[in-house]
Amino acid sequence: MHGQGEAHAAQVIFGWDPLWFAGILFVITYALIMSEKINRAIVATSAAAIMVLAGVITEQKAVHGVDFNTIGLLTGMMIIVAITRRSGVFQYLAVWAAKKVDARPWGILVMLVVVTALLSALLDNVTTVLLIAPVTLLITEALGVKAYPYLFAEILASNIGGSATLIGDPPNIMIGSAVGLSFNDFIVHLAPAAVIVMLATMVPIYLIWGRHLKASDESRQRVMNYKERDAISDPVLLVKSLSVLALVILGFALAHFIGKQPSTIALSGAALLLLLDNLGRKSSKQTEQVHATFCEVEWVTIFFFIGLFVVVHGLESTGLLTMLAEEILNLTGGDMSVTAMAILWGSAIASAVVDNIPFVATTIPLIKSMAPTFGGAEALMPLWWSLALGACLGGNGSLVGASANLIVAGFAERARQPIGFMAFTLAAFPLMLFSILISSVYIYLRYL
Amino acid sequence: MTARLVMDPNPSVMHAGETVGKAVKIIMEHRYRNLPVVDENGHYLGVFGINTLLRLVLPPAVVVEKGLTTAPFVTDTLADLRHRLASVEEVSILDFINDDATVVYPDTPLVETLLVLYRTRTSVPVVEGEARRLVGMISYWDVGAHILEQEV
Repeated sequence: MHGQGEAHAAQVIFGWDPLWFAGILFVITYALIMSEKINRAIVATSAAAIMVLAGVITEQKAVHGVDFNTIGLLTGMMIIVAITRRSGVFQYLAVWAAKKVDARPWGILVMLVVVTALLSALLDNVTTVLLIAPVTLLITEALGVKAYPYLFAEILASNIGGSATLIGDPPNIMIGSAVGLSFNDFIVHLAPAAVIVMLATMVPIYLIWGRHLKASDESRQRVMNYKERDAISDPVLLVKSLSVLALVILGFALAHFIGKQPSTIALSGAALLLLLDNLGRKSSKQTEQVHATFCEVEWVTIFFFIGLFVVVHGLESTGLLTMLAEEILNLTGGDMSVTAMAILWGSAIASAVVDNIPFVATTIPLIKSMAPTFGGAEALMPLWWSLALGACLGGNGSLVGASANLIVAGFAERARQPIGFMAFTLAAFPLMLFSILISSVYIYLRYL
Repeated sequence: MTARLVMDPNPSVMHAGETVGKAVKIIMEHRYRNLPVVDENGHYLGVFGINTLLRLVLPPAVVVEKGLTTAPFVTDTLADLRHRLASVEEVSILDFINDDATVVYPDTPLVETLLVLYRTRTSVPVVEGEARRLVGMISYWDVGAHILEQEV
């Protein structure tokens, strides 16, 4: 996000007060996104168009409000994953992990959780669960056990793993980009918390489901018979895509030293992989292949972000968010500990019930405007980590808390193993609160 | 020239409530590609076909929407496939019918009807009225027979 909450003399149509106009438009936008009656990309881009057409912000400011670092990073990683997945490496990884524990049901659950958490830390959560859920269904069917505990644990693992890195979850990408935090900053500050939360979460999962998971020797043998090497459908592509992925991760780690933004690294990696994937093909085939790859990019998400950035920037330019920040500081008494806990718990609860992307997009400028109270931008770090943990882990609170949750639920329903909204919430919400309790202790001991 | 000309007006049908086991028996005996399923009033509900059978014997993970697109590492045997089919033999066909299959109407023009047949690559139900009463089925063989008769 760019710019601070400087109010400017906007000329809004019919002479309406820009602050009220933007505020009401924002509330309507939020309500429509929550209602899911209209596609969220349509809502966000329409609201952005109204912001500009009504005169709340100029076209130049609207473009300035779009965080192209976030957009580039998301798009670049989506392209890299779209190409890499064709190699079959993710199925290989899941089957390999299942066989490593001799196809024991609880062992497989743990391994799939580890794979999901690790992949979610390096790729986006939705992609990760789209890759892991089908293999999970295959393995659990072969074992003769219900897929539910596995899918449930994977949902939690995807959100917890995603909280560990800059690129793991959209809220982190947005926070990292807005504040200028590096890949390494997230690893150093959030990965330890994610590991602790993941380990702690496995205990209740074991007590509720894990200890009851049983499979016959015959069923386990069916899984052991899987030939994971055969999952690699294109060994050459595997080498190319894993090499590029490794270079991109290395680039993220060194981004601070080489002075490049994560989006530059992700898009450079995507361009390189597109080149390697198409070298030697006829030009007509290249067009077909590149088109197929670009179709894999989640353009709904990308345009949702673009629209949202404009809407939030419009709101920010009216000074409304600065006023809201002042109100929050009045409530917390300007105390860093109280403010950090309020942001952590508030963002967790909010993210459990509403989309965390618009929530984080709005909260970022709000936190930025607290800098003078706490003695500058550097002093705000505990608040950024609180927001990241709250927004990412809060997604575990209900099925609608994160896109990955809904993807798994939809998949489970189609596979005739439905994950009920209430059943999920009853188990997941307390576990989410448990994870936020752990995060509170972590934030308090480390930063406050 | 419409669909009515090339349809079989007395096709074999399955009724709501009949089992997967019975559908399998009929499909295998008569080598049907698609069996229309109707309710007690003869209203069309969907089709149960050879593709449905394949879906029932394959691992759910590979046939579910957004499932695995390939599964070369899976080493299931014929016994595994048989076991999968046996587990649903007593289940009602309604749980597995395709209620979204393309249909044509008795007055659908002939070329449009053949285009549907060409694109769907399977037998096509013919329904009429808002209640979608099943009035026939069109297969490759019905069409072929009619064309050859005309030629002759």
